[in-house]
Amino acid sequence: MSHSKEIMVKMYTTMNRIRMFESMLQEYFAAGKIPGFVHLYLGEEAVAVGACSCLTDRDSITSTHRGHGHLIAKGGDLKLMMAEIFGKSTGYCKGKGGSMHIADFDLGILGANGIVGGGGPLATGAALAAKYKKTDDVTICFFGDGASNQGTTQESLNMASAWKLPVVFVNENNGYGISCPQCKSMAVTDIADRAAAYDMPGVVVDGNDVLAVHEAVGEAVKRARRGEGPTLVECKTYRWRGHFEGDACTYRCTEELNEWMAKDPIPRFEEKLVESGLATAEELEGVKAAVKKELDAALEFAQSSPLPELSALLDDVYA
Amino acid sequence: MSLAAIVANPASGKDIRRLVAHGSVFDNQEKVRMVRRLLLGLERAGVERVLYMPEGYGIVPRALNAIRPAMAVDALEMPVRNSQEDSIRAAEIMETLGAGVVIVLGGDGTSRAVCKGLARMPVLPLSTGTNNVFPFMLEATVAGLAAGLVARGVVDREIACVRSTALEICVDGEPVDLALVDAAVYEDVFVASRAVWDMSKVSKLCLTRCRPDSIGLSAIGGQLELIRPEEPRGLAMDLGENGERVVAAIAPGLFEEVGIVHREIMAPGRLYPVGHAPCLIALDGEREVAVRSGSQAAIRLILDGPWVVDVGRVMEAARSRGIFVRETSAGRDFRPIRE
Repeated sequence: MSHSKEIMVKMYTTMNRIRMFESMLQEYFAAGKIPGFVHLYLGEEAVAVGACSCLTDRDSITSTHRGHGHLIAKGGDLKLMMAEIFGKSTGYCKGKGGSMHIADFDLGILGANGIVGGGGPLATGAALAAKYKKTDDVTICFFGDGASNQGTTQESLNMASAWKLPVVFVNENNGYGISCPQCKSMAVTDIADRAAAYDMPGVVVDGNDVLAVHEAVGEAVKRARRGEGPTLVECKTYRWRGHFEGDACTYRCTEELNEWMAKDPIPRFEEKLVESGLATAEELEGVKAAVKKELDAALEFAQSSPLPELSALLDDVYA
Repeated sequence: MSLAAIVANPASGKDIRRLVAHGSVFDNQEKVRMVRRLLLGLERAGVERVLYMPEGYGIVPRALNAIRPAMAVDALEMPVRNSQEDSIRAAEIMETLGAGVVIVLGGDGTSRAVCKGLARMPVLPLSTGTNNVFPFMLEATVAGLAAGLVARGVVDREIACVRSTALEICVDGEPVDLALVDAAVYEDVFVASRAVWDMSKVSKLCLTRCRPDSIGLSAIGGQLELIRPEEPRGLAMDLGENGERVVAAIAPGLFEEVGIVHREIMAPGRLYPVGHAPCLIALDGEREVAVRSGSQAAIRLILDGPWVVDVGRVMEAARSRGIFVRETSAGRDFRPIRE
C-alpha cells in the first residue's frame, strides 16, 4: 500500500477534523443550540477516511443519516456544513435541510440521506452514468447494517453486479440498527457473506483500522476502475454515541462501549505513524491544534450567520 | 471421561483475498453444518463430553439446533473478545481441562492461534479458511470419528499424530511469535489488511514444509524441494529480481513468478536473520509482527511444533483392529466398540 507521509498525515488530519466536528455538535446540541436531529459519527472515523482517501474529486459518494464523517472525508466545507446544521442561511441548504440533506455535487457528494437504504440506488445510478459516459469514475455507497436489510440495498447490489458497475459498497457495521442488535435482525454475522449471492467479492475488515479500510477499499476502487464491477467491503466498527443525540442507549451495556472505545481508531493510527517514523508526536499535536482552529472558525461562521428570512420560506420548493 | 474440544472461528475465510485473489467465501452457516457432522462423528466414536470455544455467532449451539447427540456439549467459561486471543485462550483452557484432542475449524491463521495455546494436546485442523496449507480439506464426519478415537485414547498419539515443525520468530533475542507453515519478511511498515499478495514486497521466505501441490507462499518452495512437516529441516529463501524464477499459486486463482536469489535448507535451531528493519513479518500468510527500526529479528526452525492428527493413519489403525466391525451371529454389526 502507498504510505507517503503526505497521504498518511492528510488521513490523520481528516480523522481529527471529523472527531472535533462531531464533538462540537455533541456539546452544542446538548446546550440546545442546534435545531432538529443529529446522528454522530464518533468512533467510526476510520471508515469514512480510509474509504474516501481512495477517491478523487471526480469520484462520488452517497451517504447516510450518519453522514457528517463521509462529507468531511470527501472534502465538504466545514463552515457550510456547520452553518447548515445550525439552521443558518449560509449553510449548504440555506439552513432548511439540516444534518441529513447536505450535498456538494462539485465534490462528488451526492448527499446525506434520511432514508435508510436510500443511498444504494443513487450510487448505482451514478455508477451506471459513469459507465454510460465511459469515464473511469467510481462511486462509493456508504450504508449501515440496518440498511443492508433493505430491499433497495439488495436490489442495488444485484443490479451493480449484473451490469458490472463501478461502485464500491462500503458497509459500516456498527452492530445496531437504531436500538436493534444485529443478532435480532439478521441470520448472518457478516454482511460481506451476502456478496457471494451476487457473484461479487465480499470482504470483512477492521473498521477501526484506517489503513485496513484504506487498503481494502483501495483495491476495490482499482477493480471498479478496471471495469471489473462492484465490491462489498464490510467494516466492523461501533458508534460511541446513541443512534441520535438524546438516545438513552438502554439497549447496550457500558462494558461493550468501553471495549470499543479502547479500540479508538485515532490513537491507533497515531501510534503507527509515530512507530513507523512517518511523523513525530509533536507534529501530530500540531495537526490537532490546526484542526481545532479550523473548527473554531467554522463554529464562529455558523453562530454569526443569520437564520433564513421568513420571506425565503417558499424558495427552492419544487412542488 | 473422554473429552474432545472444538474451536470454530466465525471470522475465518472473509479477508481481502476474496478481492485481490479469488478466495472462496466460507459462510458461517456452512461451519454450522460442518460442526453438526463433526459432533455426530465424535458421538459415534464414543466421546462422552465436548467443550467448545464460545463466539459471537454461536456455531456450535446452532449446530445443536438440528441434532441431539448423546454426550454433553458445553461452552468454555471465558470472555469473548472476538480476536485471535480467544482461540489461544480457548486452547489453553481445553488442554488444562484434559481434552484429548482439539478440532479446529478455520484457516492457517486460526490453526496458528490455537497451536500457540497448546503444549501437547493433539490438534485436528479442518479447513474453512483461504490458503489451507496447515488445515485439511476433509469430510467433518470422518474427522469427528478419527478425533473421537484419539480423544478416547483408542489409537495412541504416536500412531495417530505427526509432530510438525514450526517457525519461531525472535526479535532482539526473544521469541515473540510462531508460524506453522511460512514466515515471510515483508517490506512495509503497516499491517493494514494483513494478507500477503504483493510478492515484490517479500524479501525472504522461510518454510516448514514444501509440496508441489500446495497453495500459498509455501507453494513457491514446493516447486523446489519436497519437505514433510515432521522432517527436521525447513527451507529458507531470499527473493529478488535475479536468480531462478519460480511460478507458483500464491493464493486461490493467483499465480506469481518470483525470483529466488538464494536458498538453503534450514537447520533446526539456527537463527536466520530477517535483514534490515523496519519491516513486517507475515506468519502463515498474514502480516503480523512489526520489526521496528533498530531491532534485530530472526527466524528459526523448531522441532517441537504441534501434534497433528493424521486422519488417514487413525482410520487405518481402526480398520486394522476392526474397531468398527463386530461379528455377530446375524452377521456383521457396525456399532462402535466402547473399550
